[in-house]
Amino acid sequence: MKKSLSLLVICMLVLALAACGSKNNGGNNTDTGSNSGTNNGANNGGEKPSFKAGMVTDSGTIDDKSFNQGTWEGLERATKELGVASKYLKPAGTTEADYMKEIGNLYDAGYKMIVVPGFKFETAIYASQDKYKDANFVLIDGSPHTAEDPTPKVGTNTVSIFFAEHESGFLAGVATAVQLKEGEAGFIGGMEIPPVQKYNWGFQQGVKYANDNLGTKISMKKENVVYQGSFDNSAAGGQLAAQMYDRGVNVIFTAAGGVGVGAINEAKNRAKAGKTAWIIGVDGDQYKDGVYEGDKSVILTSAMKKVNEASFDMVKALQEGKFPGGQTLTFDIKNDGVGIPSENPNLTEDTMTKVNEAITKLKSGDVKVAAEKGDLIK
Amino acid sequence: MRNLIISLCAVLFGLIGGGVLMAVTGHDPFEGYKFLFQGGLKNSQRLGDTLATGTPLIFTGLSVAFAFRTGLFNIGAAGQMLFGGFCATVIGLNVDTSRPLLLLMMIVAALLGGAVWAFIPGLLKARFNVHEVVSTIMMNWIAYWTIYYAVPAYLKAESVETESRLLPDKATLKSTFLSDMFGGSYINMGLYVAVIAVIIIAFIINKTTLGYELKAVGYNRHSAEYAGIKVNRSIITSMLISGALAGLGGMAQFAGNGANIQIGVLPTQGYDGIAVALLGANSPLGVLISALFFGLLYSGRGFMNAMTDIPPEIADSIIAIIIYFAATSVLMDRLITRIVNRRRAATGGAGTSGPVSGKENA
Repeated sequence: MKKSLSLLVICMLVLALAACGSKNNGGNNTDTGSNSGTNNGANNGGEKPSFKAGMVTDSGTIDDKSFNQGTWEGLERATKELGVASKYLKPAGTTEADYMKEIGNLYDAGYKMIVVPGFKFETAIYASQDKYKDANFVLIDGSPHTAEDPTPKVGTNTVSIFFAEHESGFLAGVATAVQLKEGEAGFIGGMEIPPVQKYNWGFQQGVKYANDNLGTKISMKKENVVYQGSFDNSAAGGQLAAQMYDRGVNVIFTAAGGVGVGAINEAKNRAKAGKTAWIIGVDGDQYKDGVYEGDKSVILTSAMKKVNEASFDMVKALQEGKFPGGQTLTFDIKNDGVGIPSENPNLTEDTMTKVNEAITKLKSGDVKVAAEKGDLIK
Repeated sequence: MRNLIISLCAVLFGLIGGGVLMAVTGHDPFEGYKFLFQGGLKNSQRLGDTLATGTPLIFTGLSVAFAFRTGLFNIGAAGQMLFGGFCATVIGLNVDTSRPLLLLMMIVAALLGGAVWAFIPGLLKARFNVHEVVSTIMMNWIAYWTIYYAVPAYLKAESVETESRLLPDKATLKSTFLSDMFGGSYINMGLYVAVIAVIIIAFIINKTTLGYELKAVGYNRHSAEYAGIKVNRSIITSMLISGALAGLGGMAQFAGNGANIQIGVLPTQGYDGIAVALLGANSPLGVLISALFFGLLYSGRGFMNAMTDIPPEIADSIIAIIIYFAATSVLMDRLITRIVNRRRAATGGAGTSGPVSGKENA
């Protein structure tokens, strides 16, 4: 018993040492604030942050090259440009209880604006908008409703935001077809959920549009349209991509988060070995993720939905007192909420001209992209 | 007593390790831990959330601990939990009857589902000596993909493709009485079931012939066989009970803390159960306490993130460090043995065996 006591004393001493160390380190590091989940808005010209904007992440990490990252980038920009303090929390699981817990944590810590990405938050936001009346909520890709009743009820302190992924996929499809002229295209999706499906359907329509109107010959086969089933299994993404390339596919559209990262890596390996292997990125501009040599990248272009703009805009609106509470907003091609990057080093001038023509037609309503499956593959 | 000291040391070292990590990344460990514990205990709602977070861990911890006692390393608690929870959800969504009967049916379904999932590795171990570590991990993935297929095909929600329909309130363990008592927390009757399970398992292990036989197999399979214990049957029985416990954990998670089952997720409670069992020294009471401790960590983490500049990833690492130390309590055991022996050697050879081993160590 005595011995164990002495052991405990030793432990205490170590703990005390650790505490001393912290004070020194604390002084050095807090200024930089780098690599931290928190941005202190006060850095911006000594202005006091007007309010605190928090985010709760969906399943997956903050650097998922997709949803979480996009939302967070918007908040980071708000910190830089608007002097708003921002922070994200990562829930332990993906149940409503987990989400509610983190939203409550943010609220208790004084975050009166809470941005959440993903339809999984729908029921949690429904409960929160009534529970925390003086907080504002932004729900991206979903609309609040109860578990029993899918009719959306957007509270006056909530904005729900949707994207027209099919239009984004359509433009990527047109760009791909015009650039490559002929060959075969494939699609790797994450989970078979509406945003991913809409990318897929839009892409197929884009390819078809180019084949019909712009004289290209790009084919898509049934076996080359695959939903992997997760957003994080990058090994499986690499395998799927390898199989497709081996079957003669030239270009793969990945709408699959981390699975897409695996596909990009496979494409990079092939490109390094001198073979042609193209990838079309998703959500953000993934050009940099596909760089394999110098500044050459396997990313032909990316089908973007500007999640970062959406979250930034909402913070800005709240700061200016114009928060569109109670509304459901759709970001589509008409308000430039979706599209392909403005700079595409792998696309020729000619391709960009044709894509811009397609954009004009979409905006004017001459060409319409269906958000339904119809007779498309999967 | 010794086990208690080992576990406490493990927790302490873990906390120190986490504190060092906080210090190295430029945060104040005392402040961090203050908010971590406040987040789990500050008010009745947070306390309730902590208990609820710990509930599934009690089941999986108990499951792993029970198999350990028979010398089996059940890594498949995640899969058994998933399948048990799935079976309970199937009953909950399709049967319409009075609440007590319905809940009883769901509990039985969860028990059976988990037991079936553990029976296969148990049988393989008993008949063909297939190592249970390998087969239970494989069963995890079979469960994962079975759910992945079955939920969208048969239990799909109307709007959402990746989860089942929500269980009606009467088919969940939710209790307004408990929630109100804990200020709107999501604590539920799963905790009652967990406590009952702890008592039953403690009784089986300590007071019954079955428990004695299983422990004997755990200590030494061959001598148990020599003593006339049917080893193969014991292995299968142990796996059945272990799996049933994990299955019940699935019900506590999917029909208690949550109200539906999601695809594409292997519940983390399965693997955490191993750490819970190790920290609880494989005793039912120890498991109960350590599961609640883990619940506290998971529950308080978010508040720590919100109140300090510690990023969520560091918070995850801190918890991982604590788990790591908890899981290496065997090392702690060795360390204590060595210190004790050295002390004996130093006090001048009072015992007969002490000095000898002391010299060897020196």
